[in-house]
Amino acid sequence: MGATASHLGKDLLSEYQELTFLTKQEILLAHKRFTELLSREDKNLPDPRAPTEAILTLPELKSNPFRERIVRVFSTSESRDGLTFEDFLDLLSAFSDSATLEIKSHYAFRIFDFDDDGTLDENDLEKLVNCLTGETDETRLTPDEMKQLISNILEESDIDKDGTVNLSEFQHVISRSPDFVSSFKIVL
Amino acid sequence: MNSQLQRQGSATAVQGTGYTSDQGSPRLRRVTSSRSDQNGPQFNWRPASAAQEDAGQEAAVPPKDLRALPMPMALKRAISQVQQMQVPVLSSFQSWKRSKAKSLSRARKSIGGFLHYITLWRRSLNKIGGNFGDGVQSYFLFLRFLVVLNFLSSMLIIGFVLIPSIVFRSVASDSVNMTDNGTAECRQYDHKPDPLVRYFSYFLDLLSGTGFMEYTYLFYGYYRNTMVAESDFSYNIPLAYLFTAVFYFAFCLICITARAGTAVRVAVATGGGATGSYSRIVFTGWDFGCLSDRATKLKQKNLHYQLQVDLEEERIKNEAASLTLRRKVLLYSSRILLSLVAFGLIIAAFYGIYQATTFSQRKVKETGVLGLFYEYLPSIVITVGNFVVPVLCDQIALLERYNPSITVIVALLRSVFLRMVSLGVLLFTLWSQITCFEGVSEECALCHYNHKSYPCWETRVGQEMYKLTLFDLLITLAMLVLVEFPRRMVVDNSSNKLIQFVGRQEFLVPVNVLGLVYGQTVVWTGALFCPLLPLINTLKFVIVFYAKKITLFSNCRPAAKTFRSTKSKVFFLLVLLFGWSLALVALIYSIAEIHPSMSCGPFHSLVSMWAIVPDSFYSLSLTTQGFLYFIGSQRFSIPLFLFFSVVMCYFIALASVYGKSVDLLKAQLKLEARDKQFLVKQIEELSRTLGVAK
Repeated sequence: MGATASHLGKDLLSEYQELTFLTKQEILLAHKRFTELLSREDKNLPDPRAPTEAILTLPELKSNPFRERIVRVFSTSESRDGLTFEDFLDLLSAFSDSATLEIKSHYAFRIFDFDDDGTLDENDLEKLVNCLTGETDETRLTPDEMKQLISNILEESDIDKDGTVNLSEFQHVISRSPDFVSSFKIVL
Repeated sequence: MNSQLQRQGSATAVQGTGYTSDQGSPRLRRVTSSRSDQNGPQFNWRPASAAQEDAGQEAAVPPKDLRALPMPMALKRAISQVQQMQVPVLSSFQSWKRSKAKSLSRARKSIGGFLHYITLWRRSLNKIGGNFGDGVQSYFLFLRFLVVLNFLSSMLIIGFVLIPSIVFRSVASDSVNMTDNGTAECRQYDHKPDPLVRYFSYFLDLLSGTGFMEYTYLFYGYYRNTMVAESDFSYNIPLAYLFTAVFYFAFCLICITARAGTAVRVAVATGGGATGSYSRIVFTGWDFGCLSDRATKLKQKNLHYQLQVDLEEERIKNEAASLTLRRKVLLYSSRILLSLVAFGLIIAAFYGIYQATTFSQRKVKETGVLGLFYEYLPSIVITVGNFVVPVLCDQIALLERYNPSITVIVALLRSVFLRMVSLGVLLFTLWSQITCFEGVSEECALCHYNHKSYPCWETRVGQEMYKLTLFDLLITLAMLVLVEFPRRMVVDNSSNKLIQFVGRQEFLVPVNVLGLVYGQTVVWTGALFCPLLPLINTLKFVIVFYAKKITLFSNCRPAAKTFRSTKSKVFFLLVLLFGWSLALVALIYSIAEIHPSMSCGPFHSLVSMWAIVPDSFYSLSLTTQGFLYFIGSQRFSIPLFLFFSVVMCYFIALASVYGKSVDLLKAQLKLEARDKQFLVKQIEELSRTLGVAK
């Protein structure tokens, strides 16, 4: 049932259309780009998995500071490494133009949740801010600024005051910023 | 909310059955087991029998959108398979409904696929958004909207005015029903171009719409009052001309409101966003569309700057609250003084435009290059004013020491005012020349308009708008070639400190949007007199798109200040609406008030353009007349008015009820949060006392 490297069947294509937010053309383009990432011997496997390193070479992900998190979140393998074609479609669907705010915010939360524990705690927030401002010394915030910023964020978003931001609190913030849908977008 | 809950419920129910029925698939089992430890959606793994009981009730719910479930593909596929197996449970009506929904969604998908092909500049827009952020992208989206709008409206005009005119021009003769109110003198109109012209004057004519251009389908004067009446078919060109113009305006209004509606809904529903600014920057600040390392670095720098400034500002704000009274007075008085100066500048610009227009209309008889210069004088003065005054206003705004967001808005409002009203001044000057200030002077007494200077005044107004449109385009291209490219070359090849400090230009979104709105307003104003202006404008905006794209990618550096696109979208459309209403005033005035020229055009035998409507009304059959009278009468309008009042009351009541319940829920949410905090505190205290007791 997996996507063989050669081409997509018509049934499979329409099924993918049912299950993702992508149009036919986008799925075909995604398939083309995905096949280019596979090594020659992988292409003959029934359900090939493109390694993380190959996926990170995509120009759409190459310069994204969250690229490793994105691959991890969408990977279905045991070691959370590498994407199958269907994982890849899931990724593109969540990042597509027509995906709902709900699904986008869900995946955004999981991408920002660096330690995968289901809440954004202070360490997650610090890593997130560092990703946003860049890792070099000159672009990092000073420790004082960082502390102030994190306490401000928790003050604003942590409604139940448990010291972390959980999914619903996160979605509450996201639902009030309309620009999110247009910025949480990766188009091939 | 309710439907969402239902959807969630049905998802869990189906999930239960899906898992048991598909247990044979090893792939599926592997995937679910590896997923269950995730913080993904929490499923209620109820026994299959309970879920199956639910299935009967759930069947009434239409199949939910599987795409919106945050689950890997394999799970979604399993759910969809289960859905298909459930179908026999349905009654025939439900299955019919479901199959209809399915075919509808398939149709929508194929339309979507088709749109995917014809969507204009999709890839370019993506690339722009990826490299320069969605603020700049919003400018290009706006440009694309205007291109499509202009294209559709030019199709409208071509279909209803141009093609019938061409077809009937050969078939039918003019319906000459000249009344006696025009004398022979008024009907003199010499439009034949001089046959012995030097070839470069063709070029001049092309730029100013005179000479061989004047008496063509491009301008009002060429259209005739043809009426074709067969036994079962009749077409009245003047009526079509008028109604197309009116419908064109209505069409544009509908398009703008439809677009503004979505933008406003988003902006209002999210409350503009005064609260939660830090969380918002951190959680939603990243633009995942960034395509290059340069763009990523820039975005990071932007965010860093934004966070730092916000933190700094918070500190400063606390200090600023304690400003002394004397300094406050000083600040406010300097603000008032400076805004008076800015206002004075704008007034001076208006006076300049007025003088230039009067002067250039007096020098109409000049020919050659000098003539062209006089022809273009108003356009030149307007453009210069629009360049110089906003720059000065920006400098003044810096002195006024508003906080940054207000500074932008103040500067913008001033330039909107300047741009739009300068066009208004130009129109006013033209109009007052045409009508000699209500026709008191002897020049206008004969024909109700100045027939000596303006034998066909509609064409003249059309030419003026044609020139403005063309000049705007030429300026854009000239700026690209003469200013922007050289600037980039100098900056890139020089090591001079000062030049490096000035640097490449930034792409300023508000200024560029204003340019578009101005161009569109000119087109609206001129569309009645120059029916092909929308078509010309379509081409112009396409050229502008490519010119701006080239300059963006080769000459510009991304802006240091970020530009929030949501609010600005509404603002752009509001300004566009302002331009539209300005053009509407001009349209109504020229249709209802001014006497159409007697020597040319489809309305040359009428007292005003609108007079064609009553005229053709009385030629309708009696039943139709009766019906239309009935619609216009009080017997029809009062019940209609009452009906609309009732509907409106209903919606107002509904809105207020919703507003109240939203407020109530907000209050409840706050109370809940406080309850929670209280309980947590209680638990802490309790555990402490228990610990102590232990």
